Amino acid sequence: MTHLWERLLEAKSRLAPVQSKYRVLFEDPNAPDEPAKVLVPDPNWMAAALAGGYLPPIDTYQRDRLVPDGEPKEHPYAEPIGAMTEEEAIEYLVMKDIDPAVWRDYKGNRTIMKIVPVEMIPSDRSFRNAWVIAQPKAEEVA
Amino acid sequence: MSTLNVSNISDGTTSVGTGYVVNGSAKAWCMLNQSATNDAFYDSYNFSSSTDDGTGKTTVTFASGMANANYATPSMTESGTGFNDVRTLNRDSSQTRGSSSYSFYNCHSGNYADNSQYVSVVFFGDLA
Repeated sequence: MTHLWERLLEAKSRLAPVQSKYRVLFEDPNAPDEPAKVLVPDPNWMAAALAGGYLPPIDTYQRDRLVPDGEPKEHPYAEPIGAMTEEEAIEYLVMKDIDPAVWRDYKGNRTIMKIVPVEMIPSDRSFRNAWVIAQPKAEEVA
Repeated sequence: MSTLNVSNISDGTTSVGTGYVVNGSAKAWCMLNQSATNDAFYDSYNFSSSTDDGTGKTTVTFASGMANANYATPSMTESGTGFNDVRTLNRDSSQTRGSSSYSFYNCHSGNYADNSQYVSVVFFGDLA
């Protein structure tokens, strides 16, 4: 099996970059005073995800999180998966690039992660360090 | 994709081992814009995402991870609006340097994190 790094080289030479129409807003539950973060998919990576045949299964990255540095990792030589939709690619990216403490383990009441259309991210960055995720209004219980 | 299996590359006079060429290549590189959340990467290789962590703060995540966190990161930052502002790319102790991602901030000479329109970072090291 060809190394993932080489497959990405081939993908970059063959595929046009794809700017995703989604962004992932999230907050770090372990650092509540920090502003909301905005994850932006890499256009070359998104092109490879949509084409299929380049990226490894997401569970290989998740197992590799537990492998100490210097030890052999599974994801570079794993059999590539097929094409994903853009929505599936964003879900894959959440599980790959965001700490499980945000998307899997958080049990609090705040909404700390949202996948949003790119138009919902403010273009005015004057108060960037004050950004938080808007919370749904509390529903009244009769 | 076809594969050429050679142990040395030569121009007829001098030769170099293929291992030196492969191991000496940049394993990831990017040029990105911290001022625009909607269009972060201008171009890149071997990343899956960039994360806007706040004013002047960014995390880039590798698609194909590094073997360890002991990689070299030559970098440059340009404001794009003038020549007088001195800026450097730094990493503080709260930011990640890992085999799967790297976080940094763009430090203005006034000693505060500031967005930059052009940030270039190159990663040299061993792949996982």
